[in-house]
Amino acid sequence: MNLSQDRTEICLKNIRMRFQMKSGDPINVFDGLDLEVYKGEFISFLGPSGCGKTTLLRLIADILQPTEGIVTVGGISAAEARKQHKYGIVFQKPVLYDWRTVAKNVALPMEMMKIPKKEQEEKVTEMLQLVNLEGYENSYPFELSGGMQQRVGIARALSLDSEILLMDEPFSALDEFTKMKLHEDLLRIWEATGKTIVFVTHNISEAVYLSDRVCVFTANPARLAGIVDIGLKRPRNEDMLISSSYLAYMGEIRHIFEAGYEKD
Amino acid sequence: MKRIDGRHLSLILWIVGFFLMWEFAAFLLDGVLHDPMAAKKLPYFHAVISETVLNADNILLQSALTALRAAEGFLIGALVGFLLALLMDLFGVVERMALPYLLASQMIPILGLAPIIFGLVKDLDMSRVTIAAYMTFFPVSLSLLSGFKSVDIEQRMLMRSYASSKFLYYRKLALPYSVPFLFNGLKIAAPMAMTASAFVDTLSTQNGIGSIIIVALYGGGTTGQFWPAVLAASLLGIVSYVLVILAERVVERFIPRAPKEAAGEAA
Repeated sequence: MNLSQDRTEICLKNIRMRFQMKSGDPINVFDGLDLEVYKGEFISFLGPSGCGKTTLLRLIADILQPTEGIVTVGGISAAEARKQHKYGIVFQKPVLYDWRTVAKNVALPMEMMKIPKKEQEEKVTEMLQLVNLEGYENSYPFELSGGMQQRVGIARALSLDSEILLMDEPFSALDEFTKMKLHEDLLRIWEATGKTIVFVTHNISEAVYLSDRVCVFTANPARLAGIVDIGLKRPRNEDMLISSSYLAYMGEIRHIFEAGYEKD
Repeated sequence: MKRIDGRHLSLILWIVGFFLMWEFAAFLLDGVLHDPMAAKKLPYFHAVISETVLNADNILLQSALTALRAAEGFLIGALVGFLLALLMDLFGVVERMALPYLLASQMIPILGLAPIIFGLVKDLDMSRVTIAAYMTFFPVSLSLLSGFKSVDIEQRMLMRSYASSKFLYYRKLALPYSVPFLFNGLKIAAPMAMTASAFVDTLSTQNGIGSIIIVALYGGGTTGQFWPAVLAASLLGIVSYVLVILAERVVERFIPRAPKEAAGEAA
């Protein structure tokens, strides 16, 4: 990864996390983890639960702070980046406000920033078009399906035009068909906007299909076991899911997991 | 339309059933057991109604007096409860310091507290307002606080990702989210404020619906107004509860809630 400094969007240096457990000894996670995320790439954090992938995402979002190490986002500290709205975030649950219409939910970050109403409305229309939800402006979240709710969450995360999109297992609660449709849409949005996407998942197939690079994490102890470059050409399509190179990447990642466990 | 009819029907049935049961119980006492005190222990419902109509002017006037003071106290208490919940949620220190006092405050029997307050302020109206507020602030404060505390962790993270100020956190998330909790507290508090105000009435024989009850009980002279006054006092509690529900419906127009089954499905 000898790419020049100016291509780096997110930089994690020598990260250590210590979690004090209620019973007994503290748990150490990431023994001096280093990772760079490049501008405009689609990178996945893949691993089983307890591997620290969500923790790492929260470090980038400045929702958690590392016990040791430095996180920079867009060349500034993670805390400063958060204050400057450098990223949008999508959670596993849609996390929408039931008392707000779809349009009002998408406008929430802009309201927080006190962006003029007129501008907000234009942006909401644009965002809802982007996630294929035109015509649902005045619906309430509880009137939508799970997949549509997650689309609203994505539109909201994109509405501030932040360069980075952080996604924490955004599709893991959705059925297979909805998930496939959202994969297509997410890739289309990524290609249209050129955002840097950090995507947390426990689904190997999903990680390979979407990403430029897959960071493979293993649990006990939680650590970054390897990074796999996915050379599948863009744009990706579902035919690739049965191609030999796709299966080879799946095999490579499985191998990293197995090697990680044999060490224990 | 059919459902509204059904609801009205069940309400009518409930009222008719209540009326019949009362009449039947009174008949048992009077007609079957031949209790000589039947008319005092449990008069016929129709007798109570006719007595109420006869004394309608006085019952209404005294009810209004009690209810208005209760309403004032209720509003003050709700405001105090609201501010307390906000302070407790904002500052953990306040919560740790205030909560034991709040709990202890509710252990003091109102039976003892009301005369103390009356002795201090020496004014019936002020005592009614104070005691009603005292009864109100606690359930409101506790309900609202539990609302604030049950804001989802991811919702909090989202607000943090926006680098939200405390003010915007409450305005955009915690307050609208906690509206149903606030109204739960208000629903508990409203009839309690009415009862509290009526209880202060009984400290004197001057005015208020409670004073009619106490005068009728011990004075003997206006025995006829005892049952109408008890009926009126109960109605005050019911009316206050219904008013809170109506207020909640108005607020829900502006801050809609997910229907329960839909909310479950989304999660």
